[in-house]
Formats: sequence, C-alpha cells, structure tokens
Amino acid sequence: MAIETRVTDDGDTLVICIEGRFDFSTHQAFRDAYEQGNAGVTRYRIDLADATYLDSSALGMLLLLRDYAGGDSARISIENCNRDVRRILSISNFEQLFAIQ
Amino acid sequence: MTGSTPESDADHLDNDALAELQDVMEDEFELLIRTFVTDSRERIHTLRQALADADADALAKAAHSFKGSSINIGAPKLGALCLALERAGKAGELSGAADRIDGIDAEFAIVVAELETLMAR
Amino acid sequence: MSLPPLRILIAEDSTSDRSILRRMLIRLGHEVIEAADGVAAVAAFQETTPDIVLLDALMPRMDGMEAARRMRALAGERLVPLIFLTSLTDAADLARCLDAGGDDFLTKPYNRVIIDAKLNAFRRMQRMHDTLSEQRDLIHARNQQLVDEQAVAKQVFDNVAHSGCLDAPNIHYHASPQSIFNGDVLFATPRPDGGLVVFLGDFTGHGLPAAIGAMPVAEIFYGMAGKGFGGAEILREMNQKLCRILPTGRFCCGAMIEVDFKAGQVRAWNGGLPDGWVLGGGRTPQPIRSRFLPLGILPADRFDGEMEALRVRPGDQVLLMTDGVLDCVDDAGNVFGEAGVREALADKEGPPFERLLAAASGFSADAASSDDLTLFALDVTDDAGWTRGLADTVGPSALTGPLDWRCEYELQGQSLADFNPLPLLLHLCLEVPGLRPSSGEIYTLLSEMYNNALEHGILGLPSHWKRNPDGFGHYYAERQRRLQSVGNHRVRFALQHEGTAQGGRLRIACEDSGEGFDVAAVLGSLSDDGRVSEPAYAGRGLLLLKRLTTDLSFHQNGNRVEIVYDWKHT
Repeated sequence: MAIETRVTDDGDTLVICIEGRFDFSTHQAFRDAYEQGNAGVTRYRIDLADATYLDSSALGMLLLLRDYAGGDSARISIENCNRDVRRILSISNFEQLFAIQ
Repeated sequence: MTGSTPESDADHLDNDALAELQDVMEDEFELLIRTFVTDSRERIHTLRQALADADADALAKAAHSFKGSSINIGAPKLGALCLALERAGKAGELSGAADRIDGIDAEFAIVVAELETLMAR
Repeated sequence: MSLPPLRILIAEDSTSDRSILRRMLIRLGHEVIEAADGVAAVAAFQETTPDIVLLDALMPRMDGMEAARRMRALAGERLVPLIFLTSLTDAADLARCLDAGGDDFLTKPYNRVIIDAKLNAFRRMQRMHDTLSEQRDLIHARNQQLVDEQAVAKQVFDNVAHSGCLDAPNIHYHASPQSIFNGDVLFATPRPDGGLVVFLGDFTGHGLPAAIGAMPVAEIFYGMAGKGFGGAEILREMNQKLCRILPTGRFCCGAMIEVDFKAGQVRAWNGGLPDGWVLGGGRTPQPIRSRFLPLGILPADRFDGEMEALRVRPGDQVLLMTDGVLDCVDDAGNVFGEAGVREALADKEGPPFERLLAAASGFSADAASSDDLTLFALDVTDDAGWTRGLADTVGPSALTGPLDWRCEYELQGQSLADFNPLPLLLHLCLEVPGLRPSSGEIYTLLSEMYNNALEHGILGLPSHWKRNPDGFGHYYAERQRRLQSVGNHRVRFALQHEGTAQGGRLRIACEDSGEGFDVAAVLGSLSDDGRVSEPAYAGRGLLLLKRLTTDLSFHQNGNRVEIVYDWKHT
C-alpha cells in the first residue's frame, strides 16, 4: 500500500492516489495525507486507479475525510475505481455521499 | 644446531609470563610449580607408553595436553616441541616419535632446573 | 567491581592449568566450581547452576564438545555462555569450537585482562537476555489479561447478539462460533399483531469495538418491536443512536425484514449488506438490494427507513447474509462472491439455506474463514404456522401500575399521516400489570380499531382489495397517497380501565370523523359460523374484535366503535 499526494496547479484540489490494498494498514498514512498543511485546498480527489482492494475500514477512512472536509459541504470525488472497488462502494451506497467516477 | 627452527628460537622460560603468574598465584605459586612438575613427569611417561602401544591418537592427545600446560606455565620451547609431536601423532607418523619424546624430556629437565633456580631466589 | 560476582564452572583436566584459572577468577571476585573431566563437569553443572562455564575441549571420560551439548540441554531456556579453553592455534580448529556450540574461546596462556573483559561482555549479554525474557513474560501476561477481558465482553455480547425468537422452528441461522468475535448481530422478535421482525447487522471491524455498538441497538430493537413500532421507526431510532455513539468512520451495515404472515408480505430494508433473497415456488429469486447507506452515518433528518414490499407465499424462503459469505476464499485465492451465491441458489436440489451454507463452507480453504459469517433464513408459513407470542420473548417488567384510570387521545389532520399512535396507546394499557401477558391481543384490538377508523372510515379504502393477493401492494400505495391529502379529519381514542373483583376491565372507544357505514347491513352479513359474504366493509377485523372481546358495539353512524376487554387474576 502506498499513498501519493499532490496539489493541482491552481492550488484548489488535493489529489490522493492510493496504490495496492486500501485497508486498515493505510489508516495513518491516509490521514496524514489530507491533514497536513494543505491550506487553501477546497476539493479532494481520491484516485483509486492502482488500488486493488477496499474494505470497511477504508470506507470508514473516507467518512473521516468527509467529516474533516466539512461534512455535507465537503467536495470529494472518488475516481478510477476498478470493478471490485466500484461494487463495494455501490453496495454501501456511498455514491449518496461522494461523487464517484 | 643446523639453522633456525621455531623450536630453537623460543625461550626455555618466559620470565615476564612467570612474573605475571607469580603475581596472580601469590602464595600458591610454589604449589603450582610443584604440581606442574609432577604432572609433567607423568605425561612424559604417558607419551612413552603410547608410543610403545603404537597408539598415535593417544600420543597426540597427551602431547596436546602437555603443550597446553607448558604454555600456561611460561615454557614456550617446551610447548613448541609438544606441538610438533602432537602434529606428528595426528598425521600418524610414529617413526620420529621416540626422538621427539627424548627432545621433550631433555627440554623439560632444563625447564625444571630453571624453575628451581627461580624459586630459590 | 560494582557488579555482582559470577558463579563460574571450570572443567579442565590439567591440574596446573586449572589452578591458574581458579586463582585468576577468584581474584576477579568470582565464585569458582571445579571439575576435572566431562562427566564431573556435567554433574557439577546440574547441581550448582553456574552463570558461565569454561571448559577444555579435550578431556578424559567425556570431551568438551559432548559436555557442552549436555549442559545446553540442561540449561533449557536460560542463557549460559560456554567458553572453550584451548591451546589450539589453527583458525579452523578454533572455528570448530564455536560450531560445536561454544559461545567463545580462551586461548592459553590464560590472560586475566582478557578473561575479565570476556566475562563482562557475557554478563552484558545475559542481562539483555534476561530483560528480553522478562519483557516477553510481561507481554504474555498482559496479553492474557486482555484475552480474558475480551472473553467476558464476548459473553455479554453473546447474550445480546443472537437472541429473541431465533429458536422458532421456521427460522434457520448460522452465526460465527464463540472463538470469533466479529460483531455480527441477529435479532428476531414477534410483533404484537402477529408476524415477525428481524434485524441482521454487521458492525465495522472485529472484536470489542465492533461489538460494543450492539448493546444499545439491541435494547432499541426489542423495546420498540415489543411496543408495536414498525420497522422504519425502529431503523430510524437505531440509526440515530449509532450516529450519536459511534466514532466517525464506524457504522453498521444492516438489513431489516418485517414479515406479515397474514398478508403474505415481507417489507425489507437493506443498508450495506449483500443482496438478500426471496426464493420459492419455482419463481425467479427476488433480490433484496442494498439501497441505503449503513446505519450510523446519516443524521436523523436525512435518514430514510422506507421499506420495500415483496410478496411471499407459504413455502418461500427469505435469506439474509453478511459479506462473510461472499468473502470466503478458496486455496487459489478466488472469492466465493456474488457468483458463488447465485450458483448455489440456482441449484434446485434441497432447501436454499443448507445449499448456500454447504457451498460456502465447501468452497473455503480453511474452516476459520467460512465460520466468520452470518446467514439467516426464514421459512414463510401461513399465519397458523407462526405460533409465537410476544409474551414468550419479552421479559416481565418489575414495575407495578395503576388500575383505575382513563385517558383520551386524539390525532388530527397531518398528524394522522405522519404519526402512528399505537405504541403509545399500547404502552398506556400495559402499565396495568394484569394486561401485560395479553399485549398481543391488546395491540391487535387497538390496531384493528385504528386501521378501520383511519383506512375505512376516513380514507375510504375498500377492504376487499386486501383479500386479493396482488391488491395488497395497491392498497398500501393508495393508502399512502390518500394520507397526503387527509385534510381536517381526526381519530379519537378513549381508554378507561378499572379493577374488578376477578381482575380488571379495559374499555376502548375509537371514533373517526368519516362518513360511517351501514352497521346493520355489515353485521347481518356475518353468519353465525363466522363466514363472511361479500360486504364492502367486511373482514377478519370485525370477527377478530368479536372473538377477543367481552362486548363489541357500534354507535353514531358506525363511526364509533366500543369494546370491552376483561382479564382475570392468575
């Protein structure tokens, strides 16, 4: 599991790329990724192109991010999900809380 | 004496080592020397017996043991002679063993004499 | 020397060498034990348990290597350094000493400075080893304490987690064994008006954090279901509770079903669990899909507990499962998944519950993973087949209560559409201890009277729609629609209770602001043997009221019904 972050050129969006298994072992790294000094960021993109697996603790981490980013007013999109990841998000109906592409 | 061999270069007694030993043993020094002398006479006897039995292994073991106590007491030449005999015994070469044992016996006599001189002082 | 002395065993056959070593060690402040050969050395080792052993490689009776081996065996877990005494000069020979199990060697002539340094080095190593052993033991003890605490927590949890009427004959379930503390819960209880409500929950995580949310949720489920609240209301309460008590990021995937055996209907809600299934009669299996977010995420104002209605017939099976079923993994790393479930259910041989359980267990590479799942199945029976009563599962309350009281309660306008008064009214009645064993009957009476008043009296819904199996769905849809424009109508209840010599008497009157009906015509169409012929306002409802009560009467234009219910001391 590896996490990479970058901010878009306009300083507006924080992109977090997750590689490998998105599970409990990712917990601290994911949190550090969005908590650390991204002043001015108003949007978040979670790129799961290289993520192989997502479990309920990952769903919990997404909820924590949403809470951190303002709850209902948070703007978070989850992108490039493979079929299995998409299915997990769909069963949990997370598209009711996140923009999923 | 034909040229230098390791045995001939070594001293009969290492005086520094002996001084050290005296310091360590204190009042037990004399007892130690006596013990060494007595045990060594027995060892030489064991060597001759092993040769008579043509038992190369016993020969090597006894030589090894004698070597060790000689080194500890500070008699390097005696130790070197025992090492040579030990190697011969391990190699199974019993042919020159009688001469080697005589050599050890002779060296031992010198060492004993020097030790007695030391203790008389 | 500030360090404590060591107990050192010397095994050396040369007396002079042994004396030298002994003297050196004593002068360094240590305690010395001597042996002149291997056998004596091993015996001395066993008797005196030295801290360090110095031994000659070549000794009579047993050589150093063999003695070393035996001493190691005797030492067991203790770290006892074995140092070979040797006049070996060859590097290969020295290395062989270490290979044979020695920790170090001391060459002749013995040098006290070197001996002192080596002993101290080994002393440090021993201390490190002792610290590690102590810490390991401490960790082990702490861990054992945690395990013991968790076992107690699990016992509490188990009393809560799989409870209610799960032992009814038409209920089958497989839950994880004692050894797996996975936080799945399965609750089931009869409803006061007949029927059954079931909740299957899967809290995130494992162990105590997962299980701890189950306690309050169980209280809510059983408390509310026992009072006659509907599934949507119970879900709403559970969701709100979990939102409040669970940390952000933790939630409970769950599914609830309400089974109405009389109406042949299942109402279902699924938030985050895999598809449930309704199977039977050669029909295509109907999935119960997850349409909602799991419990504990959405605040009350956004939570939707709306349940979808599905038709069922006697002989059908309703299946619910947690994702443990889909997560079963075989030797090659393939998952059982939705495909595995579909395949197991498509096979027509044998009852679906057993088929699916066998397929998942058979698929799994190891028993442990196939045990970490919960699977639930209900055989749908007709109403007569479901014989459980609420009194069987609801424990008696310790409270006493009032015997002589009266109360009026009226619902008007939009509140008729939004609010279900039955749990409150039932609660009032059950304040009377003598009525508690009859809670099912009381609820039935209140419910029949209220539904007649609301659905027939005010909304004008014809009850014969309900008799037609497919009309049920239509009936409830129309009920919802008409409720939105209910206008200025009202329903009023008047309850009164008094103690009697034999026990007590409860009177319930229910009045609606509707147009009423032709009482004589309806009552006349009920023949004595209880069979009914085709009236507009007919039904089991009236028969039921007649059967359960001491007296039943209609007043005004038929839009006021009064019943008298007597109970006796037991």
